[in-house]
Amino acid sequence: MTRTDWAMLRRVLRVPCITLVALVALLAINVALGATLPFRNVWIVEAGVAACMVAIVLLVSMDLLDETPLIRLFSSIGFFWLLIMFGMILTDYLYR
Amino acid sequence: MIAEPVGIELVGHFATVSQQREAAKLGLWAWLVTELLLFAGLFLCALIIRIQHPAAVTLAATHLKFWIGAANTAVLICSSFTMSGAIALSRIGWRAGMLRFMLATAGLGTLFLGLKGFEYYQDYVEHMVPFLAGPYVLARDQATRLFVDVYFITTALHGVHLITGVSILLVLTWQASRPHFLARHQNRIEVYGLYWHFIDLIWIIVFPVLYVLNR
Repeated sequence: MTRTDWAMLRRVLRVPCITLVALVALLAINVALGATLPFRNVWIVEAGVAACMVAIVLLVSMDLLDETPLIRLFSSIGFFWLLIMFGMILTDYLYR
Repeated sequence: MIAEPVGIELVGHFATVSQQREAAKLGLWAWLVTELLLFAGLFLCALIIRIQHPAAVTLAATHLKFWIGAANTAVLICSSFTMSGAIALSRIGWRAGMLRFMLATAGLGTLFLGLKGFEYYQDYVEHMVPFLAGPYVLARDQATRLFVDVYFITTALHGVHLITGVSILLVLTWQASRPHFLARHQNRIEVYGLYWHFIDLIWIIVFPVLYVLNR
C-alpha cells in the first residue's frame, strides 16, 4: 500500500475508529460500575451510559444523522411506539 | 489500492438510483422497527419481573456470567467497527479491503456465538437451566425461574439473529468477491450493515438489562 492509500484509509476509517473508542470506553464504565457497585442506585448511571451507547450506534453507526428525513421519521416512530408501550404498562405496575 | 467503480444497477420499477437506495433502506428500517418491538417486549418482561420480584431477580442475576457477557459486548462492538469499515471501503471501491473487513465481522460474530455457547454450558453445569429436567440451583425461590427463563429466551433469540446474520454475511462476502459486484450492488453492503449494527444495538441493551442493572 502506498502512502496515499494509508492516508485514504485513515480518512475513511476515522469516524468508525472514534465510534469504536467511544463505545468501548462507555462499556468499560458500565462494566466497572456493574462489577464494583460503588453507590446506591448505581443503575441510574448504568442505564444512562447504556442509553448513550444506543444513541451512538443509531446516530453514527447506523448513519441516522445523514439519512433522509423520511428514514429518520420512520426510525423515530419505532422508538415512539416503545415509549407508548413502556409508558402505559409501567404506569400500571409502578402505581399499584 | 485498486479502486473499482461503485454504483447501483437501476431496477425497472424505480425512477432513479437514489430512490432505489432510499427504498431499500426504508424497507429494512420497517423490518428493524418490528424486530425492535419484538425484543422490547422481552425487555419489558424483564423490567416487570424486576419490579415484582426484586430480591429474586438480584439473586438470579448474580448467577449470570457477567464477565462473559461483558467480553461478548466488546466482541460485538468490535464487529460493528469492522462492518463500518467494510461499508466505508465499499463506498470508495476498495474491494479487497472490504472483503477482509466482512470476513473479520463474520469471525467476530462466530466468536460471540462460541462464547455464548460456553456460557450456556457453564449455566448447564451449574444447574441454572430451570426448564430442563434435573436440579435447579435456585429452586428454593421460584420467582427466579421467571427471570432466568427471560434471560434464556432473550439471549437465544439474539443468538438466532446472529446465526442468521453471519450466514447472510458469508453469502454476501462470496457475492462481493465476484467482479463488478461493487459497480452494481454496493447498496447491499450498506443495507446489510444496518442489520448487523442492529444486532449490536440489541445486545448493547441486553447486556445492561440482564447482566448489569440487576446486580
